[in-house]
Amino acid sequence: MKWHLYTGPLVLVILWVLVSQFGLVDAFFLPNPLVTTAALGTLVVTGSILPDLLATLARVGLAFLIAVSVGLPLGLLLGRSEKVYRHFEFIIDFFRSMPATALFPLFLLLFGVTDSSKIAVAAFASMLIIIFNSAHGVMHTSKTRIRAAKIMGATNAQIFRWIVFWESLPQTLVGLRSAVSLSLVIILVTEMFIGATSGLGRQIIDAQITYEIKTMYAVILLAGVVGYLCNLVFVHVEKNIVHWGGK
Amino acid sequence: MTHGISISNLTKSFNHSEVFNGFNLTIKPGQITAIFGPNGSGKSTLLNILSGMVKQDAGQYRIEDFDRFQFSYVFQNYRESLLPWRTNLENLALPLEIQGLAPQDVRERIRNLQDLFEFNIDWHGHPYELSGGQQQILAFMRALVTNPRVLFIDESYSALDYENNLKLRDHLQTYYLAHKPTVVFITHNIEEAVHLASEIVVFSKKPTHVLETITNPLPYPRTVESLKTATFHEVKDQVLTAFQKAANL
Repeated sequence: MKWHLYTGPLVLVILWVLVSQFGLVDAFFLPNPLVTTAALGTLVVTGSILPDLLATLARVGLAFLIAVSVGLPLGLLLGRSEKVYRHFEFIIDFFRSMPATALFPLFLLLFGVTDSSKIAVAAFASMLIIIFNSAHGVMHTSKTRIRAAKIMGATNAQIFRWIVFWESLPQTLVGLRSAVSLSLVIILVTEMFIGATSGLGRQIIDAQITYEIKTMYAVILLAGVVGYLCNLVFVHVEKNIVHWGGK
Repeated sequence: MTHGISISNLTKSFNHSEVFNGFNLTIKPGQITAIFGPNGSGKSTLLNILSGMVKQDAGQYRIEDFDRFQFSYVFQNYRESLLPWRTNLENLALPLEIQGLAPQDVRERIRNLQDLFEFNIDWHGHPYELSGGQQQILAFMRALVTNPRVLFIDESYSALDYENNLKLRDHLQTYYLAHKPTVVFITHNIEEAVHLASEIVVFSKKPTHVLETITNPLPYPRTVESLKTATFHEVKDQVLTAFQKAANL
């Protein structure tokens, strides 16, 4: 058992208990851990949060899927020629550095107050991260390996399939992992502020407005768990596929 | 026997520095030829031109009956060209897959080569689990799996310790005796050159020309014992004398 993994969470919970026990923060604004966990338990056991959880997951999933299916081929393609990539580098870096939230109004104009606008803005921002990472993965392929394959008589397609693709994979997976996290963040924020009727973001803001503070904390916790699990899945996939990483 | 190499009037400059200007050389087919010379005398450049990786400015070269799929070039840092996402066995199979060979033919070729080398590693493991020396041998085997008729080697032994270096010299001779390819190898190690080659070509400084070609008559296979013979020392002295001239020592 790796006990050191639990030190951080344990310290946090103890602090939380101490703060609420000694009334350092008004119990109304910070319910103790037990109350909060109980609220989360109720939400999960009764299944009342399930539709919201599924709605959020569906939006994140769809945004991610769109981002991957557009961004991945584009990134791999652009990375093949550093010259071509340089032409697009500025746009990619510019939009990648721009806070996606600044684009909300624009996407609202384009897609209206619908799910589409939320998914589109998340997909757009995630796509840029995927393009950036996979293109850089391709561009940094070892010249020695490509040269060796050329001497063996490999065609460009073979070099791409057997060398470049694999060589860019670690960087591509880093891009995918960041893209999922970003999608989740953007979807949650848009659920809060752009007329959603469901979703974890919506539940958090509703609970806050109605002073259901313990519910608010419970849903925040749940959102955290979702984000963490998404990350965990990707770390696991990376470890299993990219077994040569760092060696 | 074909696969001889002839080079005439070769000219090549890099950034106004002339490496070759009207360079001529003939390499005999079915023999091991060593190229020995001072730093920057264009040894690697020559192999890069002959393998088509670098374009010459002028002049011609000809490798008789050249076939891309029966040609291997083991260059410096060659072991870095192993693919870590493939198993050792899959790495060995790569050149054959590139040629589109059927799986059973791939297996047979690999088995033949494994028999020839008696090199025992975990074939289903990955290159990063091997020692540097083992990686080098694996990379070298990969260069031989296609049964090359023409084989270029550029100092790929230099990173090895002496024991593995001797082992690889042994492997090269085994392959050479079995298939009689045309081998051209570059080395900075005079002992290695004389040990393996039947002809040692000594290059001058830039612009490069052939200073001398020295013949080593010792029969193959040449063992470690051959390194102690009088003939070996005589040939080695001749090469050293030629090198002295080349490097103005």
